[in-house]
Amino acid sequence: MRITVTGASGLLGSSVARALVTSGHEVTTLQRRPSGVDGAADVLGSVTDAKSVEHAVTGAEAVVHLAAKVSMMGDPKEFEAVNIGGTRTLVDAARTAGVPRLVHISSPSVAHTGDSIIGDGAEAATPEFARGEYARTKGAGERIALGADSPDFRVLVLRPHLMWGPGDTQLTERIIDRARAGRMPVLGSGAALVDTLFVDNAVEAIVAAVSAVDTTHGESLVVTNGQPRAIGELMSRIAIAGGAGEPKLRIPVAPALAAGSVVEKVWALGEHDDEPPLTRFLAEQLSTAHWFDQRRTQEVLGWTPRVSIEEGMEILAAHYA
Amino acid sequence: MKFPARPAQIPPQLPEWDPSWSRIVEAATPDGTHEFHVLDTLPVLRAAGLEPEGTILALHGNPTWSYLWRRLARATVETARAGGRVWRLIAPDQLEMGFSERFAHEAMPTPKSDEVRRIADRLNDFDAVVTTLIAEVAGSGSAAHPIVTIGHDWGGVLSLGWAARNSDIVSAAISLNTAVHQPEDTPIPAPLRATLAGPMLPTATVLTDWFLRVTMSLGDLSAETKSAFSAPYRSAADRWAIGNFVADIPVDANHPSDPELQRIGKDIAAFDKPALLVWGPKDPVFLERYLRDLRSRLPQADLHRFETASHLVSEDHAVPGLVLDWLDAQFGTAAAASAKESTTGADDDPAATAAPARAVTAILDARRDDEAIASVDFAQNPAQQISWRHLWHVTTSIANGLLGLGVKPGDRVSMLVPPGNNLTAALYACLKIGAVAVVADAGLGPKGMTRAITSADPQWIIGELPGLTLARAFGWPGRRISVTPLGPVRSRLFKAETSLTALSRTEHRAELPAPAAGDDAAILFTSGSTGPAKGVRYTHANISALAAVLTRVFDVREGTGLVAGFPPFALLGPAIGATSVTPDMSVTKPKTLTASAIADAIIAGRATMVFASPAAYRNVAATAGQLDAQQRAACARVELVLSAGAPVPLELMDAIAEVFPNASIHSPYGMTEGLLLTDIDRAGVAEADATGGLGVCVGRPIDGVELALAPIDDAGNSAEELLQGEASRGRLGEFVVSAAHIKSGYDNLWRTTADSARDGMHGLTWHRTNDIGHIDDAGRVWLEGRLQHVVTTARGPVGPGGLEALVDTDAQVSRSAVVGIGPVGTQALVVVLDAEGTALSPGVAPLDLTARLREQIAGVGGHDLAAVLVAPEFPTDIRHNSKIDRSRLAAWADRVLAGGPVRGRIRG
Repeated sequence: MRITVTGASGLLGSSVARALVTSGHEVTTLQRRPSGVDGAADVLGSVTDAKSVEHAVTGAEAVVHLAAKVSMMGDPKEFEAVNIGGTRTLVDAARTAGVPRLVHISSPSVAHTGDSIIGDGAEAATPEFARGEYARTKGAGERIALGADSPDFRVLVLRPHLMWGPGDTQLTERIIDRARAGRMPVLGSGAALVDTLFVDNAVEAIVAAVSAVDTTHGESLVVTNGQPRAIGELMSRIAIAGGAGEPKLRIPVAPALAAGSVVEKVWALGEHDDEPPLTRFLAEQLSTAHWFDQRRTQEVLGWTPRVSIEEGMEILAAHYA
Repeated sequence: MKFPARPAQIPPQLPEWDPSWSRIVEAATPDGTHEFHVLDTLPVLRAAGLEPEGTILALHGNPTWSYLWRRLARATVETARAGGRVWRLIAPDQLEMGFSERFAHEAMPTPKSDEVRRIADRLNDFDAVVTTLIAEVAGSGSAAHPIVTIGHDWGGVLSLGWAARNSDIVSAAISLNTAVHQPEDTPIPAPLRATLAGPMLPTATVLTDWFLRVTMSLGDLSAETKSAFSAPYRSAADRWAIGNFVADIPVDANHPSDPELQRIGKDIAAFDKPALLVWGPKDPVFLERYLRDLRSRLPQADLHRFETASHLVSEDHAVPGLVLDWLDAQFGTAAAASAKESTTGADDDPAATAAPARAVTAILDARRDDEAIASVDFAQNPAQQISWRHLWHVTTSIANGLLGLGVKPGDRVSMLVPPGNNLTAALYACLKIGAVAVVADAGLGPKGMTRAITSADPQWIIGELPGLTLARAFGWPGRRISVTPLGPVRSRLFKAETSLTALSRTEHRAELPAPAAGDDAAILFTSGSTGPAKGVRYTHANISALAAVLTRVFDVREGTGLVAGFPPFALLGPAIGATSVTPDMSVTKPKTLTASAIADAIIAGRATMVFASPAAYRNVAATAGQLDAQQRAACARVELVLSAGAPVPLELMDAIAEVFPNASIHSPYGMTEGLLLTDIDRAGVAEADATGGLGVCVGRPIDGVELALAPIDDAGNSAEELLQGEASRGRLGEFVVSAAHIKSGYDNLWRTTADSARDGMHGLTWHRTNDIGHIDDAGRVWLEGRLQHVVTTARGPVGPGGLEALVDTDAQVSRSAVVGIGPVGTQALVVVLDAEGTALSPGVAPLDLTARLREQIAGVGGHDLAAVLVAPEFPTDIRHNSKIDRSRLAAWADRVLAGGPVRGRIRG
């Protein structure tokens, strides 16, 4: 199959492109920097540039749309340009080119309004209640993608949740760096149950979606390992796998939420593209439960996570050894 | 103050209310044609292409309206749509109530006012409107189309009265909390007395919404629901009839409505069709005495008590489901009506009729001249020893005395007497005349005992001082009989009319009435670890069958000497002809049984068998060092040690074997509803342990017990289908049993009984135990918890007990609870550990322990352990202090894992 992958310079995008090449697909990538994926044809450009997009999707039989602006802060216009405008440009171009399949990568934050999530499914995106520009614009982008769904243009939305693993600079490396510096805090009791997703499983879920979209489309699916863990335990295990000690710094929830920026400071975010976000509302995320019902996801994708969290930790430890 | 007239109205949009139920109906009452607002599901049914196969006529009370029946309306329509019997629901708003017509009034309602609409008028109103509506469907009231009434509050009396006067077309009647009759010798309930006090009446009922608001507070109502109930009563003008109703309460014989109420009461007593009473005992107005009165008028009535419900019982609980189940049991679906058999009747129950013919008291009667020892009681000081001849004479005298006092067969006698000769005498006296012993053990605590005894509603109490003191303090029902004479002052204080001692001197005058095998013999209360304690009914046949099991399975026979340290079995000696010895111990504190006490009991009764609980044996083993040579020799003569009440781990079995070196040690499994179901001995426990099976192995079904398994689905429900043999092996399910010695039913819990006995496989009566687990390849039963504690993960249902057994083997763990967090079918599996007795501190467990437990759990069934928490306290049941309250721990874990504080209260 001829497949176009946008945002293939990041960890997830490049891994997906590589996996598709390995499976024998003919892969074109679209991003501003070279993807570095052997066997894929790079189109260098932005999803906000209609010409580049048109060029990248023409002749494709499926598009996997991972390109996004992922950041904690920044000009709302930039978020809108990439996450809303870029998605609209891509959807229009793909439809015009007669591409029959779109796998759109979104985020669980599009439906998150600040409450605990305890075994819920994928609720509809609610950009009007979103926390932060990323979630707001990704929510609007998801609506555009789903709104274009039809039998001739089949759209399936995946929302990977808190991805981690070797090569992940967003969550994994930050935890390890902070823990090594002795400044990795655990919020509250650290017992809030959260779902995460090991990177290899994320890649395989997206690859599975390229086939699954033929039978099920017009739907959003949260993708996780299906193994909720206490946030404190999870961060500790990542830190230990990365060679740091078990984090001992504990801070109460209330001051973290009140200050609002405690987590930002600790996590010292910079500008990044193409990756799941670590935004300021993470303070809330890290102190309330966030885990999902995975039955529908696994049924639709015909996929189950191959690497358990425990196996993933061993892989991570080997990576940092 | 003037009150204007206005026609009936259609209600506004209200929660749970379907506007297509609303109709305005004109009906000709004796004082003219009036407009009623009526909830009628006929249009909805016909729109769905369904033609009624039955009609339910529902009548609300004061100050509700047909909104009270919205859930019944929805449930009947849904049942009809799903292929069940098509019941039409007709629920009028009484005139001047709800959205029905309002009349003009010149003055406030008062008891003697001419403007007040009387009970008699309201019966005519109901008759007029339902007669009009029934006529719309041809054949209503025929055998193929039964008519059933249901009512609440004043609507209860009125609907029952109408049913009684129209029994030619009415097939059954149901009432929720109501009252037919105000006994002359008791004051009317305080809340009503306040309202009725002359000038208060208009203010409380009409000018303000006080009466309305107070009523709305007598149930579990949301603010939206309260608002909906209040919708037709927003202004004083709309509330005139609330005052009317209160003014029309016949407080005494001079009240204008009193004669009509008396007539209605008499008519209801003549109603002989099936009836169902649904009761919320927390009602401050409709008290237990009104239920007692109703039951005396409708002796055929089934009763279901919702122990935690108040006046608005249908708001608190699943009344629609109960009503539909009951109607189904009476009438079935129209198609299957003739095919379906009643599952609750004891008469057509093969298990009951197959029971041994020997009466419970037959052996006692046969040994009336035997001077051998029947019973030794070490609870008395000095120990009291009585012969069979003495026991026969005493029980026969007491039986005669009870009859003389006015005890009738079927009367209930609450036994507030600890095990020993006195209890044995009282119990067998009752069994001889068919009086029913009510036994609620002190482990329930005063509140639990009050609830239990109130629900059983005994006519009599036989008690020692501690029991009589509680009875007095908590106002338990029943005329009092003390054990020993109390003297004039205390007799007056405790209202004791006589004593067992006095009764035991009664001459043997009367030929004693012989109870039938199917008559109730005893009501035993459950421990109440999963909700209010339930009364479990045993017939004479059930008790005979239980005695027969002890003979058949454990070789307890005539002449056997047994030490009875476990209450239920302590009472069976005279039924078997065995010599029973009550050791010196406190029943509620089994840990007080010492090795010396048990040895002395063995010596006194020349006993070869010992029955006690694991907690008692633990203390016996711990105090075995005190035994002298003679006592040790006595213990060595014991052939059978039986431990009941909770499973016995191997180490305790081994410790018991040290004390009783020549005994075989058995630990049967059972429950209040079926005391002996399976059995395992010491070798069996060792063998089962070696298999590494999950849960607690309780052995195999004993002779006479049929065991089946109802598999548990992904949502945690047990299937209707029952499996036996190979098909039942190795899968998680609820255990379902059938035997002649299991319960005949639950007391005053119609639906609970029907649910628990809903299976009909092989034409037997079965009992759903609510215990879950699996049966292994060798046919052994393994317990893994209670049905409501099943964890429903995305990978399938998990029995918590099995995994707990595994977790408890870890050196860092003292005890554990396995619970599920999150929505059914996708729950996260969580282990909660007890901090006490360990080095663990409350909160998230250490990483290494978590990793170890996760690996172990993944190893046995591929289950993913989400988290391990350490709880600051560990709630267990009151009675055994061994059953872990998983529900409370689950609620705590749920909060903590959502980000809540660790230091929250766990005990509710």
